[in-house]
Amino acid sequence: MTYENTAVMSSAQAAWQEKARRILDEADWYTRETWVGYGLVIPATALMLVIIVYPTLQAIWISFHQRSFLHPEQSTWVGLANYGQLLEDPVFATAFIHTVIFTVGAVGAMYLLGLGLALLLRHNLPGLGLLRSLSMVPWVIPPVVIVIIWTWMFQVDYGLVNLILVQFGGPNKYWFGDINLALPLVMMLRVWKDTPFVAIALLASMQSIPDEYYEAARIDGAGNLEQFRYITLPNISYISMVMIVIEVIAAFNSFQMIYIATGGGPVNATEVLGTYVYEQAFGQYVLGYASAVGVVMLVLLTVFTAIYIKLENTS
Amino acid sequence: MASETGPELNPDTTGGRLRRYLNVERYLDETTSPRRALLVYGLLFLYFAWFLVPVIWLALSTVKSGAIIQADRLIIIPSAEHFTLGHYEQVLTNPQFIRLFVNSTVIALSTVVLTLSVGILGAYSLSRFSYPGRSAILVSFMATKMLPPALIIIPFFLMMYSYTLVDTYLGIILAHSIRALPLALWLLKGFFDDIPQALDESARIDGCSHFRTLVHIIIPLALPGIAVAAFYTFVTSWNDFLFVSVLSQSGTTRTLPFGLFLFQSQNSINWGATITAATITAVPSIVLFALVQNEIVEGLASGGMHGE
Repeated sequence: MTYENTAVMSSAQAAWQEKARRILDEADWYTRETWVGYGLVIPATALMLVIIVYPTLQAIWISFHQRSFLHPEQSTWVGLANYGQLLEDPVFATAFIHTVIFTVGAVGAMYLLGLGLALLLRHNLPGLGLLRSLSMVPWVIPPVVIVIIWTWMFQVDYGLVNLILVQFGGPNKYWFGDINLALPLVMMLRVWKDTPFVAIALLASMQSIPDEYYEAARIDGAGNLEQFRYITLPNISYISMVMIVIEVIAAFNSFQMIYIATGGGPVNATEVLGTYVYEQAFGQYVLGYASAVGVVMLVLLTVFTAIYIKLENTS
Repeated sequence: MASETGPELNPDTTGGRLRRYLNVERYLDETTSPRRALLVYGLLFLYFAWFLVPVIWLALSTVKSGAIIQADRLIIIPSAEHFTLGHYEQVLTNPQFIRLFVNSTVIALSTVVLTLSVGILGAYSLSRFSYPGRSAILVSFMATKMLPPALIIIPFFLMMYSYTLVDTYLGIILAHSIRALPLALWLLKGFFDDIPQALDESARIDGCSHFRTLVHIIIPLALPGIAVAAFYTFVTSWNDFLFVSVLSQSGTTRTLPFGLFLFQSQNSINWGATITAATITAVPSIVLFALVQNEIVEGLASGGMHGE
C-alpha cells in the first residue's frame, strides 16, 4: 500500500465512522429526549395523580361507607345503603331538579346574551374598544364580592333595586328571601359573571372570520340575517361548543355564589347538588352520604363529557 | 376616502358639520349606517347598565357616611358633609382585615410560584417532546377540571387531616395549585406552541441544554402567555371560597373571601365596613386583569382555545 492509498482509505474510514457515530448519536438522542420529556412532565402529573385522581377514587370508596366528619378515622362498610337512601331523599330530588334548571337556564341565557354582546361589540365604532375591556369587570370580581354587591342592591328600604322600584310604586322586599325568585336571582348572578367571558371568546372567534366572506355574501345579495346564519354562525360553532361545555360543567358544579347568597334557602328554594354535598359533609357531618351525592354528580358529568367528545369526533 | 363610502353628507346643516367634526365618516360604511350605530349604542347602554351600575353603586356607597349609607331615599353622589373615607380607615386599620389580606396575598403568590414551576416544565415537555401517552396526559389534565369540587374536597380534607396539613398555608396552597394547574398548563402549552420550533432547535444544535433553551429562549418569548397563566392562577387562589372554608379552621390561615363571608353574616347591620372590605378585595383582581387584558383576549382567540 502506498502512502497516498492509506490516506484515502483512512479518510473514507473516517467518513464512515463519522456517519456511524451520527446514527448512534441520533438513536441515543431519541431515547434520551423521550426520557427528558417524561421527566419534565412528571412533577405536574404527580401532583395531579396524588391530589386529584387518588382523592377522586377515595371519594367513590367513601360513598360505600358510613363515616363522620367528627371522627374521620372511623369508617364502616355499608355497601349501597347511601345510594339507596338517595332515592328516597326528597331534598336530593329537589336539589337535582334545581341543578338541571340552573344549568340549562343560566348557560342558555349567558350564551344568548353573550352572543348578542359579541355582535354589538364587533362593530367598528368609537368607544367600543374601551367597552370591550370594561365588559370583563364582572368576570374578574371575586364571587363573594359579587354576592355582597347584589345582596346589598336588594336590601329592603335602602337597596338600590328597592329604592328604584318604590319610586314606581313597586314592592319593597328582600328579593333573595322570596321563595319563587331566589333561584332565578342566583342564576342571574352566574349569568352576570360569565356573560362577558362568553362574549369576548365569541367576539375573538368572529374577528378571525375573513372580511372577504361577508363581502362575497353582500355581492350575492345576502342580508344581515342571512350573513349571520350562513357565515357567522358556522364559523363560531366550534368556540360556541367549547364555551357551552365549559359553562355547563361550571354551572352544574355551582356552589360558591349560591352558598354565600342563600345557603340553599329559603326552604331549599336554591338547594343544588353542590350546596347539598357541602351541607351534608360539613353541616351534617355525613361524609359517606355526601360522597354518594357527589359521585352521582361525577357520573352525570362524565356521561355529558363523553357525549360531547363523541359528538366532536364524529363531526 | 370617507365621503365615497359614507351616506349623503350635506355640509351646510348642523348635523353635517358635527359629523365632519367628529370624523364620523371614518366609522360609517355600507354595513354601519347611522341608525344602526344608534341602535348598537342603545343596546350596549343596557348591557353596561347591568354590568357596571352595581359595581359603581358599590364603590360610591363606600364613601358615604353612616348617616346616609342606609338612607331610604336615592342618594347617588354624597354631598361634601356626607362624604367620608372613614370606612376605608376603619377597614384598613383593622388587624383582622390586615391578617386576611396578608394570608390571601401569601397563599395566592405561593400558588402562582408552585403552579408555574411545575406548569412551565410540563408545558415545555408537552409542547416540544413526542412520546407515547403525551396527548393522553394533556386530555387527563383537562378532564380533572370536570370533577365536582364539592366532591373532591371531602377526601382532600381527609388527606390533609392525616398529614396534619389542615389549617396550614401548605394545605391551602396545594388545593389551589391543583385547581389552577390544568388550565395554566393548557394555556402555557398553547403559548409555547406559538413559538417557532426552529428557534429552540437551533439553540439545541449550538449546544444549549434543555434547561438553558427553556430559560433563555422559550420563557422570554412566552412571557405574555406566562403572565396570563400567572393572572389566572392568582385569581383562582384569591377568589376561592370552598377550599379555604373547609381547610382553614382559624384566623391564622383564613383568606379574604371566607373572612368576608363570616364578617357579613356576623355584622349584617354594618354595611359600610362590609362593602368597603368587599371593594378592597376586588381591587387586586381588577388591577391585575387590567395589566394582562390584551393577552387574555388574544389568548381566548388563539393559544388557549385551539385544541390539540
